[in-house]
Amino acid sequence: MLISFPNMGPNWVAFKTLFTALDLDVVVPDPTNREAIKIGVKYSPEFVCFPFKATLGDFVNAIEKGADTLVMAIDCGPCRFGFYASVQERILRDMGYKDIRVIPLDQADLLEFHWVKTLQEVSGRKDLFIYSKYIKAVIYFLKKAKLLNDIQTAEGLFRAYEHNLGDTTRVVNELLEKLDKANTLVELRNFKKVIKNDFNSIDIDKSKTPLRVGLSGEIHISLEPYVNLDLRRKLGEMGVEVHQSLSLYDWVVHKFHLNYHRKWLEHLAKPYVPMDIGGECVWVLGEYIDKAKAGFDGFIHSYPFTCMPEVTARTIITNKLKKIYDLPIIYFSFDEQSGQEGFRTRLEAFYDLMEARREREIKSTPEFMANGQKKIYPQYGGEFYNEIAQLIQAE
Amino acid sequence: MVEVSDKLKSEDGKKDAFLGIDIGSVSCKFVLMDTNGEVLTSVFLRNRGSPIDSAKAGMAELRDKIRAEPDLLNYAIKCCGTTGSARYLTKAVVGGDLAKTEIIAHAVATQSMYPDVRTILEIGGQDSKIIILRDDIIVDFAMNSVCAAGTGSFLDHQAARLGIPIEDFGDYAVRSKNPVSIAGRCTVFAESDMIHKQNAGYSKEDIIAGLCDSLVRNYMNNVGKGKELDEPVVFQGGVSYNKGIIQAFERHLGCKVIVPKYNVLMGALGMAILVRDYYVEHGRETLFRGLEVSDIEFKTTTFHCGDCPNNCEIVQVKMPEQDNKIIARWGSRCGKWDQLT
Repeated sequence: MLISFPNMGPNWVAFKTLFTALDLDVVVPDPTNREAIKIGVKYSPEFVCFPFKATLGDFVNAIEKGADTLVMAIDCGPCRFGFYASVQERILRDMGYKDIRVIPLDQADLLEFHWVKTLQEVSGRKDLFIYSKYIKAVIYFLKKAKLLNDIQTAEGLFRAYEHNLGDTTRVVNELLEKLDKANTLVELRNFKKVIKNDFNSIDIDKSKTPLRVGLSGEIHISLEPYVNLDLRRKLGEMGVEVHQSLSLYDWVVHKFHLNYHRKWLEHLAKPYVPMDIGGECVWVLGEYIDKAKAGFDGFIHSYPFTCMPEVTARTIITNKLKKIYDLPIIYFSFDEQSGQEGFRTRLEAFYDLMEARREREIKSTPEFMANGQKKIYPQYGGEFYNEIAQLIQAE
Repeated sequence: MVEVSDKLKSEDGKKDAFLGIDIGSVSCKFVLMDTNGEVLTSVFLRNRGSPIDSAKAGMAELRDKIRAEPDLLNYAIKCCGTTGSARYLTKAVVGGDLAKTEIIAHAVATQSMYPDVRTILEIGGQDSKIIILRDDIIVDFAMNSVCAAGTGSFLDHQAARLGIPIEDFGDYAVRSKNPVSIAGRCTVFAESDMIHKQNAGYSKEDIIAGLCDSLVRNYMNNVGKGKELDEPVVFQGGVSYNKGIIQAFERHLGCKVIVPKYNVLMGALGMAILVRDYYVEHGRETLFRGLEVSDIEFKTTTFHCGDCPNNCEIVQVKMPEQDNKIIARWGSRCGKWDQLT
């Protein structure tokens, strides 16, 4: 039996460890690519959201590499995501892959422990002795997911300062390989130091004061670089600090009801949307308010074309929040189109817009960067964020 | 006018000039500007196949214009900037010093003429934009991203279908007393609505006026949604030649809509202003290949990278006269091929 799962940026490392810790064989699909998208688009309903198509393409790719059991997250609504797994299973059957199983991973509320059923089904065992392995798997999964989150945090900061374009990208790719190979608790415990050391080896220009941008949106689009046209890397290489608290770890912890950062965001967004309406609507609104209050230079909202919850967020921001908080925002709705020209034009124009605002700010408030010290924006991510931020502080 | 620093000195008796090039989806524009921001000469052409051909054709025409006017021979091009959707390719071909997005270029050009402008409407051949300015800086902008409804190409097509030259389109609309209502949400609906109204016997004038109205509504809903459009409003781009659209905008916004003198050249003019400022600030030797660029041969080749499953198609531009020197290369998703070394 070979297990596989869809791509979501670098998070294959965490998903892989969830199953290898149960002594199962795992095949990781190729990074999402043109071929996978082509297949996904061909066999999906035309009007479905884009992550559905992308993940279907990943599944076909994994099946061709030998996988026969696919794990897909589900939710009990409130948007179309709840039905991804069952519809995808039917489509795969219709495509002729008769003996493929798509096992749903219920993540509506992780404290209801429906995911144990998934692990039982995947491992094929229900006896009590396997439970120790479940615990190990979950601990490894959470630890690796947390480390991936840390890498993402550091990446967003460092790329804006690098001297040689591409250094950060190389370090991140090496770190992912290293993290994939770290399979003891000792290694995982010490891995933060590895991340810090590796990033510290990058040749950076500490005198820069880059623009700061907050990034949020639908989780798959925001995390999968092929789908979002490598938004994070492009921003970083233009010399922009990218702050994105959205990650797999962020989401999983939220589903364990332990994510106080998200609780705070929900509190901020409460006057506009009082409850979770699917997607990341509530938290995007919260992030926008949070980043505006922290004095960011801009905000980027990315979502799949036709995503109902995200469009709701977009409308609320344009009609209400933008007038109150006045933080420049740009929206990117992604679909299968890969023409980068319009995307690049809007991104560059947005950069110029932010720069002009920054210049005006410097002119009107001379003390803005008076003592050469950059202001560190408090960000969720705790100690690690602060440690990383110290590495890029000017001496 | 923007003041000019005294760093600009004229060498060998020639005065400085700056060239702005705007290669869009349908047409290309060239503007030669002096240091005071006065337009010396300009070229406006329909695109020829590829941006490279368009750039070369434009350069050839510009050279002819300069040779024909003795005054212009006293100017030397100090700096050259490109904008429009093909700005990087054009920059590589003509040897531009600066490439900026058309949004910035349009805003800069409009600000040089109307310093207190607050809203810029721009409708071109394939795309439409809106730029909102407050206190002299851009605070918001939008481009049509998914749909080319309500742009110049659509109007062109409809004019051909109604059998009237596009130049007269606006006059017809102005003559109308009772514009018919035409669906504005999508050009497919608009077209079938028009055919229906045409067959029902409505006059061409009323149909065209209705079409202008629906186009403006479409623009407001698609591009201008949720934005506050304050006076003064400046309307530019190819479609701003159309009096019917101007009137429809005025009706819709309830205020006067200004159309600048160089309404189609604004992108190129803005780029010329931007490179002038760039030159004043940096004073660097230009990379511009000169007007003889129209005689240089460029070759584009493509190949598949093949290093990962994406198999990106890489485009490169070569100069056969200089041992196939590669002057530009892009197309890779990972950015690996973007560096030329």
